[in-house]
This record gives sequence, C-alpha cells and structure tokens, in this order.
Amino acid sequence: MDGVRSLIGFIADNTSGILERTIEHATIVLGVMLVATVFSVVLGIAVQNRGLAKQVSLGTAGVLLTIPSLALFAIFIPLVGIGNRPAQIALFLYAILPILRNTVAGLDAVDPAIVEAAQGMGMGQFQQLVRVRIPLAWPVIIAGVRVSTQLITGVAAIAVLVGGGGLGAYIQRGLTSLGNPFSIERVWTGTLFIILLALVLDAVLGAIGRRTTSPGIR
Amino acid sequence: MSETTSTPQVGAAGMVSDRDPTDAPVMIHLDGVEKVYTPGAAPAVEKLTLDVHKGEILVLVGPSGCGKSTTLRLINRMIEPTAGRIIFDDEDVTDIDANELRRRIGYVIQRIGLFPHQTIAENIGTVPRLLGWDAERTRKRSDELLDLVGLEPGIYRDRYPKELSGGQAQRVGVARALAADPPVMLMDEPFGAVDPITRDRLQNEFLRLQAEVQKTIVFVTHDIDEAVKMGDRIAILRERSVVAQLDTPARILSYPVDDFVDDFIGSGSTLKGLHFERVSGLAIPEYPVVRRDTPREEARRILDMSDFRWLLMLDERGRPARWLNETHLADTSRPLHEVGPVVRAVVERNATLHDALEAMITSSAGQAVIVHRDGTYVGVVQIELLTEVIGRMRREARKHYEDLEATQTTDTP
Amino acid sequence: MSAPTATTTVRRFDPRAELGLIVTPVVLGAVFLAYWGWLGGQDLSSQAESALTTTNLVRQTGEQLSITALSTIGVLLIAIPLGIALTRPRGKRFAGPALAVANAGQAVPAYGLLVLMLAILGGVFGRANDNILQNTLGVWLGPGLVITVISLILFAILPVLRNTMVGLTQVDQDVIEAGLGMGMTRREVLLRIELPLAVPVMLAGVRTALVINVGMATLAFLIGGGGLGVTIRSGIQLSQNLVVLTGGVLTALLALGIDWIGGVAERLLRPKGI
Repeated sequence: MDGVRSLIGFIADNTSGILERTIEHATIVLGVMLVATVFSVVLGIAVQNRGLAKQVSLGTAGVLLTIPSLALFAIFIPLVGIGNRPAQIALFLYAILPILRNTVAGLDAVDPAIVEAAQGMGMGQFQQLVRVRIPLAWPVIIAGVRVSTQLITGVAAIAVLVGGGGLGAYIQRGLTSLGNPFSIERVWTGTLFIILLALVLDAVLGAIGRRTTSPGIR
Repeated sequence: MSETTSTPQVGAAGMVSDRDPTDAPVMIHLDGVEKVYTPGAAPAVEKLTLDVHKGEILVLVGPSGCGKSTTLRLINRMIEPTAGRIIFDDEDVTDIDANELRRRIGYVIQRIGLFPHQTIAENIGTVPRLLGWDAERTRKRSDELLDLVGLEPGIYRDRYPKELSGGQAQRVGVARALAADPPVMLMDEPFGAVDPITRDRLQNEFLRLQAEVQKTIVFVTHDIDEAVKMGDRIAILRERSVVAQLDTPARILSYPVDDFVDDFIGSGSTLKGLHFERVSGLAIPEYPVVRRDTPREEARRILDMSDFRWLLMLDERGRPARWLNETHLADTSRPLHEVGPVVRAVVERNATLHDALEAMITSSAGQAVIVHRDGTYVGVVQIELLTEVIGRMRREARKHYEDLEATQTTDTP
Repeated sequence: MSAPTATTTVRRFDPRAELGLIVTPVVLGAVFLAYWGWLGGQDLSSQAESALTTTNLVRQTGEQLSITALSTIGVLLIAIPLGIALTRPRGKRFAGPALAVANAGQAVPAYGLLVLMLAILGGVFGRANDNILQNTLGVWLGPGLVITVISLILFAILPVLRNTMVGLTQVDQDVIEAGLGMGMTRREVLLRIELPLAVPVMLAGVRTALVINVGMATLAFLIGGGGLGVTIRSGIQLSQNLVVLTGGVLTALLALGIDWIGGVAERLLRPKGI
C-alpha cells in the first residue's frame, strides 16, 4: 500500500517529465509505425501474387523479428551512431512482419469470386485494388498494424540502452539507482506508462479501424 | 407447324416460344476463337465459330471440363483468346481495351461476387460509376433495377450483401449485371449455388425479366434440364468446347445428332420435348359430350354411337363437370349429374403437351380436357394424339437435319 | 535417431521446408565464418581486444544458451498443463480471463519486467549490489541468472499458454464426439486425440517461446544474468563499434540458430498425417 502511495506521489511530482518522456516515446513509435505501415502494405500488395517474392519477403521479415531487439539495435550503431536513429531503424524492421503478413493474408482471403466479378465488370487492376481488394483486406491489415504497434511500444523501452529517449529512461534511471529513494517508483512509472501508451494506441487504432471498415464486413 | 397461330410469347413455364431465334441479327460472332494454354498441348477451346443472335438466350451446356466456362470467359476476354476474332455488334473487339469491353457486357457468375463492403445500391452502381454516371442517375437506376428484380428498393437499397438470402443475392447479382443496360449478358451457372426450389423460382423470374429486357444472353450450365428450360437455343459441347449440336431445345430433344448428345440429354428427352408443343397446336377430334339436362337415354345413345368409352358432361355454363361411362349410365339410383367422377384435371389451350400429359395421367378417364381461359369446354386429348405429335416432331427434326446436310453438300465445292 | 531413407524423407517432409532446414544452418555457419574472418582482419583497439576474447564470448554464449534453455523448459512445464486445465470443462470459465491477461501481457516491456523482478526478487536471491551494471561486465552472478530465468518464464508463458489453448479448442468437436462415442474416457480422448491434434499449434508456441527467451536473454546482463548482451553493452559504453557489432551479430546468429532448432523440433515432433 505504501508502495502504491509513493508511486502515485512520484508520478504526481513528475508529471511534466513523464509527459515529456511519454510524448517522446509515442513520437518514436508513431513515426516508425507510419513508415512501417506504408512500407509493409505497399510491399504486401506488391508481393501478394508473386509466390517467390512473397516467400522471400515474409521469410526476411520473419528473420528480422527473430533477431533479439538489442542485437538489432546494436548492429545499426556502427552505421548510424548511437541515439534514437538505430532504435528507429530496428523498430521499423521489427514492425514489418505483422503488417506484411496480415496484408498478404488479408488480400489472399478476398474471395476470388469477388475479384472475378470486379474484373468482369471492367475494373482495371488499380481499381480492383483500391475499390475492392484493399477495403476487404482492411480489417486484417489494421489488426497487423495494431500488433506491430503493441510490439514496438514495448521494445522501444530499450532504445535508451543505445542512447535513445522515451519512457525506457525511467526504467534505466531506476535500475542504476536501485536501492536509492524513488528508484523502484521510476521503474514502475516507466513500465506502467509504456503499457498505458500501448493500450491507448491500441484503442485509438481499434477505433480508426472500426471507423474505416465498411459495416458490411464488420 | 400449327394451324392455330397464337401470338409469340413465353409460356407460363417459360418453355414455349414460336419465334426462330436465328431470324434476329447476329450480336456476337466468334470466328475461330481458340485458347491454347501451353503451346503444343491440346487447346482448351478448339477453334470455335459461333453466332449469338440479338435477344436470344444461347445456352452452352456440356459435361464438366468441356470448356464451356472458358468459352464464356473468352467472350468478355476474362481469358484472352490465342487465336480468332470476336465480333461484337459488327465491331471487332478482339484487341480493344478489355475493361472497356467488359463494361458493355453484363457478367453473372455462380458465386455472384457481390462486394461485401458495399451496400446493395453501391454494388448495383458499380459499372455506372465506372462509366462516370452522376450519383443521381446511378441511384435512380439502382432503384429501378431493384424493382425489376423484385426487391423493394426502400428496404434493400442500403443493406449489405451479408443480410441477403442466397436467392436475393443472386437477384442483386443480375441487377448489378444489368446496371448500365448492356446489350449482352454472360451468365456462368448463375443459379447453380441455390437450392432447387429457389433455383426454379429464379429461373422463372429471370425468363419473365428477359421477356421485358430482351438481352442477348450466353448462359453456361452443366444441367441439361436448365438448358432446355432457359435456352432459345442450346449448344451442346464436348471436350475442347467442340459443338456437338446447336439447335432449339425442341429439335435437340427430338433428334440428338449422335450418341454423345443422346447420352448427354439422357433418358426422358421425349417427355422433355413435350414442353415445346402447345395444346393449341393440336387438331383436336370430335368428342361426345352431354349437358347436365341431357336425358339418360339420349346420353346412352350418344355413347353407343361414338368410338369412345367415356362421355363428358358439361355444366350449365359449358364447363366440364363429370366423366360418364356405361356403368354410370346404368346406375339409376341417383340423377345423372351426380354419378361419375368429377373432372378435376383440365388444361388451357396455351398449355404445353407436357401439362396435358400430366392431366391425362391424373384423370380417371385417362384423357385431358382442354378448356378456354374462362373454363368452358374446347375438346379432349388422348394419349394417342401425343404419340402422334412426338412422331411428327421427330420426323420434322430429322428432316431439318437432312435438309441442312443437303444444303451443306451442295454448298461445299 | 537413424538416418531416414530417401523415401521416408519425401513422405514426411515437404521438400521445400526440408530444404530450408538444411540451408539455414549452412547459411548461418557461413555468415559466422565470414564475419569472424572479416573481424580477424580488422585492426582492433586494446579495449576491443580485451572485450572480444574467445573465452568471454564463449562464456557469454553459454550463459545465453542456459538462460534460454532453462526458461523454455520452465515455460513448457507451466504453460502446457495450465493450458490443458483451462480447456477442460471445469477450467473453462477461467479461459476467457486468462486469454485476456495473455493478450494484455503483450504490451509489457521486457526491460521494465526484468528490472521490476530484480527489485522484487533481489532480496530473495541475493543482495542487489549498488553498482550492478559494472559488476556484470564479465562476472557470473548466480542470483542474476535465477531472476532472469523467472522473468523470462513470466514473459514467455503467455504465448505458449495461448497457443496451447487455441490448439486444443480448435480440435474438431466431431472428432472428440467420435472418440467419446467409441467408448473412450475423457482422459483417453485428451491423450489420444486432442493433444496429438493440438501438437502442431503447441510446437509453434514452443518455438515462439524459444525465440522470445533467446531475445530476452540478451537483456539478462541488465540484472547481472550475463549473456552476449554484456558484449553489446560494453561496446556501447566504450564506444567500440566493432565490439557492438560483434555482440549484435553473434546474438542474431545465435537466435536464428535457436529458431532453426525450434523449426527442426517442430518437424520431427509433429505427428504424421497432420
């Protein structure tokens, strides 16, 4: 009980700092997600009908997600130095697979009869894509974006280990000062706000997903 | 063929048509169209030359794998032909933009392919939108089409496909294909995925619709009964889409040109053929009738003088009432108009011989009573008459093919 | 295990997946040798030399492997029985909440979890040093390993639990009915029908657990658990790019190798015909 009270006290005393770190964390995540979403959806559309390219890109994205996050961060340090940059690149690579996989799966799941009907009515490839296939795959694509967002919001906590920012800073400060006053509160703050941010982003994406999905396929 | 010439019309069951579909101008001309998937291998569709006439329903029917669907898809170039020309209303469309061509051809497939993320109205408006119609015109058109296919626009306009039954979805599919009023419709087993009762209803509705819109339709099915019911003409295809026989359903049923066709149309083709002749086309012989007030002795005298075993009694308004035979006439316990089986099965003059046969089988006298539309007596048809008609149909069909062969022999140098 | 003959190989494995299983270790080995050769040709600073001794790297790899192995075993021992229990008639009502927790758990940052566990369990397993980060540079700490393994189990339990439950619940109800109809007991149905049919999904969960654990083990250095993260961390602290890169590459290869082992296990343990 005392612990909770002192945690609340710590949060109350550090609102502006926490807010700043939260915004920093969210900015990293959102920036990465924006790029990763566009990239993965476009890649997914491009490879969906090409067997080998599809295998290769899904395989590669799978390998990237298998590589431990810190190792992936580390590999980019010699290239771009320390700071947010290696973290952003690594997070971007991490975010690809769920979106790519869902884009491909969503497009694969579109009933061939629907595509045939679209083609039979004289829609060109681009019209079929924009008017029929993407709208139908959209709920699945959004689900992939949500998974990626959750994933990288958590992983972004270690950006601080490679010199980046975000809420991981609270965890790090807490760790290095373990045993001193407020150290455990810092760790809780960092952890809880990362979870909170992930839940908020997920809820927002969920709402966007519902808003942009036709009631006919809900 | 018949001395009573009624106005050409689609009959109650949609089976009788007196016009010759080939009299109309050619709408689609396939000229040596061929599809080869792997060079050197057997073609999927072997050089096919075929005319589809304006306003007819031409049914492509054949066993699975014969290439009938492929042939259909060659017409709107969903599959690009590897040889031959496609002439569409005197315009060579073999090389024009395929999407542009498809917007001029309605296309209905078995699995319909309604867009689940769009409302019914949006679905129907697909091609109009592609053609750049304004929203108001598109909306009006989709309401009009919903009416046409029997779905109340106020109720269905803003619904989504998932809220429709299979039959309703298929109606919307047809409406969507008709949206931009294309002169031609291609239908690939459009009623194949619904239950038999719904299918029958959809077929009848569609034939009524077609009587109204008069489209040129190429219709693919594997079901010979559906082909017979829907087709103005039927092309029976063997493998590689080679035409085994192309003719009106009546002639194909009367005279299958070879064993393949014979096997394919299967047993009961004679019975099916009765769908194509109408009672009004028969020369109906004299039949002994009596009135309700005819005295018993007079009735007995009429029966004795005739060659028949039954008398037909008419009621006071001239409608068939009861059958009477020797036994009934001998039964004096009741008045004459209370003995003898009641006439139940009557057929109108424009009914088919198939209907007449059905009436005969159910009648206690073994014969069918023909009536005017108001129910008054016309005549009686016996089984012998049908046998005669069947024989005549066969002779006519055979003669048709013999004549055809003769002209072809003289045509060929 | 005896080497399968050509025919059994063809029957059991999809040739393409089989190819992947053969190619992966070859590629990983080749990358490792190439990197090692390239590193040998580099002019290393004395700091880098001392960080990248073979002894150090081998020990850290060993630590990372033992953390991964221990936590994976722990995960399996807890998650699979729990998953089975939660899909039995009596456990079913807890299934929904358990899955909800499992899904929400995805958002927990590994870093935060590790440090919290250290703070909470530090007193139990040993006195947390004031300056843990420096102590962990090359020093094996028993309590760190234990705490790391416990954290990793907590972290990886969720995906395996979820997969076990999904795998069991998606078994065709008709098959279960058929089993019961033939007079099998509930227990026999579970052992002979449900579990074998759920094995592929459960194995996928195990593979996921392996990948998560080997990744998390990279962070073990933070709480004194050792592993290759130590090399990455010291490289960053000393601004030695080659040390960072070496740590990253070795960790990546190790993780991909573990994933490959998981893949092999998945194929070998999968019941025939599924």
